[in-house]
Amino acid sequence: MPELVSVEAVTRSFPLDHNFVSALDHVSLHVASGEFLAIAGPSGSGKSTLLNLIGCIDKPTTGRILIDGVDTSKLKSSQLTKLRREKIGFVFQTFNLIPVFTAAENVEFPLLVQGIAAQERRLRVGAALEGVGLSARANHRPDLLSGGERQRVAVARAIVHRPALVLADEPTANLDTRNATQLIDLMHDLNRRLGLTFIFSTHDQRLLEHTDRIVRLTDGQVVSDTLTSESLTTEVSLTQPAMQGVSRGQVSALSL
Amino acid sequence: MGKFLLLAFRNVFRNRRRTIMTLMMVGGGVAGLLLVGGFFARMFWGLRESTINDGLGHLQIFTAEHFNREEKHVLDTGIENWRQVAATISTGGHVRGVAPRIEFNGMLSNGVKSGVFMGSAVDPVAEQTLGFTARVATGRDLDSKAGGEIEALIGAGVARSMNVKPGDGLTILAVTSDGALNGIDVQVVGVVNTGFKEMDDRYLRITLPSAQRLLQSDRVTNLVVGLDNTDNTDLVAAQLAPRLEGLPQQLVLKKWSDLAAYYKQVRSLFSTIFVFLGVIVFFMVLMSSVNTLLMAMFERTREIGTMLAMGTPRSWIMALFVLEATLLGILGAAAGVIGGNLLGVILNHSGIHLPPPPGTTVPMTFRVMHVPSLMVGSSILVIVSLALASILPAIRASRLQIAEALAHV
Repeated sequence: MPELVSVEAVTRSFPLDHNFVSALDHVSLHVASGEFLAIAGPSGSGKSTLLNLIGCIDKPTTGRILIDGVDTSKLKSSQLTKLRREKIGFVFQTFNLIPVFTAAENVEFPLLVQGIAAQERRLRVGAALEGVGLSARANHRPDLLSGGERQRVAVARAIVHRPALVLADEPTANLDTRNATQLIDLMHDLNRRLGLTFIFSTHDQRLLEHTDRIVRLTDGQVVSDTLTSESLTTEVSLTQPAMQGVSRGQVSALSL
Repeated sequence: MGKFLLLAFRNVFRNRRRTIMTLMMVGGGVAGLLLVGGFFARMFWGLRESTINDGLGHLQIFTAEHFNREEKHVLDTGIENWRQVAATISTGGHVRGVAPRIEFNGMLSNGVKSGVFMGSAVDPVAEQTLGFTARVATGRDLDSKAGGEIEALIGAGVARSMNVKPGDGLTILAVTSDGALNGIDVQVVGVVNTGFKEMDDRYLRITLPSAQRLLQSDRVTNLVVGLDNTDNTDLVAAQLAPRLEGLPQQLVLKKWSDLAAYYKQVRSLFSTIFVFLGVIVFFMVLMSSVNTLLMAMFERTREIGTMLAMGTPRSWIMALFVLEATLLGILGAAAGVIGGNLLGVILNHSGIHLPPPPGTTVPMTFRVMHVPSLMVGSSILVIVSLALASILPAIRASRLQIAEALAHV
């Protein structure tokens, strides 16, 4: 499969008092199109920071990130906006639905931003909501939906404009086991059926069990990059800096 | 665009209590402007009509010389063939009548004491035809058909100064058109209260034939034209101007608005006060709305971050906030227009009286006019104010760092 995301020696540090704190330290990661990948790690390990960088809503301090072959560090703000609008879908831990919009209107929003015609929008929204099993709840506002339903609306919103990449930041963190399992199954199904690439951050073991590949972060560094598909359960330790990149290459070859 | 407008509209009602407070503030500003502006408009209207009906008329005709040079002798710049001119004017549309006038001055005496007067001579029938009232406080108005003594109306201040009352006699002295001094005895038939003390202290009015006899001239100073409606002034002036050109004397036509100096001063003063009030309301709405809209922006930081993450252009976020504020302004203006007009109706029926304005002696009834242009103007004022107030929150919202906004609690 062609490479969709390439994170190359990315560092991200933030100012704190009179010093800089490094959230990510020379992280490299390559994601092929159609992958279902989890970024795991404890709180403060840099999961969300890495997702933000891949999602082009933050910029690395050093290093570069390529999305679908495009070097995002060279893009202007408006070009990054266009890239996000067309190629990336987001699912957030707290759902982040627009409270004054119905479920259907929330799902419609990315299409609205893309300037897609009303009739086409209606069709796509209907299909997306059907895909997440929420057709019957289309006209309900978020406050009338359960947590699981809200997150499924968020997933429908993330995929409705047919992005190349869906980024989900702790998507199951606010869900009970039943809803979390349903959401995992849904995302996995979308991944397989539509070939959508999913990258999500999580420390939810339920989600990790359903994941093909797990990248573990600790203190801003990739400590392991594991393939967990049924046919392949190879784990490559990346704790030794000298092995970074080389091992990833080996893993990529195995996954392909 | 429809969905975007819908989003803005729903956002307006997201925090109902805050929205209601803002609407009350904006609506209160508009209602206040409507009440004050409506009161001023009613006052302007009342002053205009009373100025016209007190004798100014809608139009006045003078000789061109009247404005070009000072008179060497009384009435030497007056209208000679005024009856022909009056007949010409009377045939015009919307003209209710024409009243000849002589303006003169001189001295009056009760035999013991003397004083100056500013006199006018009128045709009582023509004046009554035009509805011009002399504001007679005691006694009666002039009667051209009454025989015997020459009748005179005097101001309340003159009556007090000369210690006379209706039925008493006075002698008036004036310089004739030949430059000689002439005098006539008059009988006071009424005492006038104009409402202006300075005027009441010098007021004298006699009939036109009496003044022509006193001044030894057949001329008149001017002709006063009364119309069926003040709104027709410009139309009739435009129609009359060419008709006056063919007459032997070069005549000039003046509208009431050219002559009503006091009206213009009052209007200018109160218009300035109203503009000042408008500026206060504008900044009051602006400053308090900035705070409200900033609060709304902070509360929605994560939502804005989400929209930006989904690729919403930053200009859309700005437009959304400006649109929401504009909608709030429109709703507030509508509430203010409705509330202001309702309050106006209630106040008009309350019969509240205000103390006499400066320089006058007659109390004023509090009345409010419903002026459409004022409603539109006040509404535009608050809508623009709110739209401007939204610029700072809109800019801040559009410049949010997405990652920080998404982490906002």
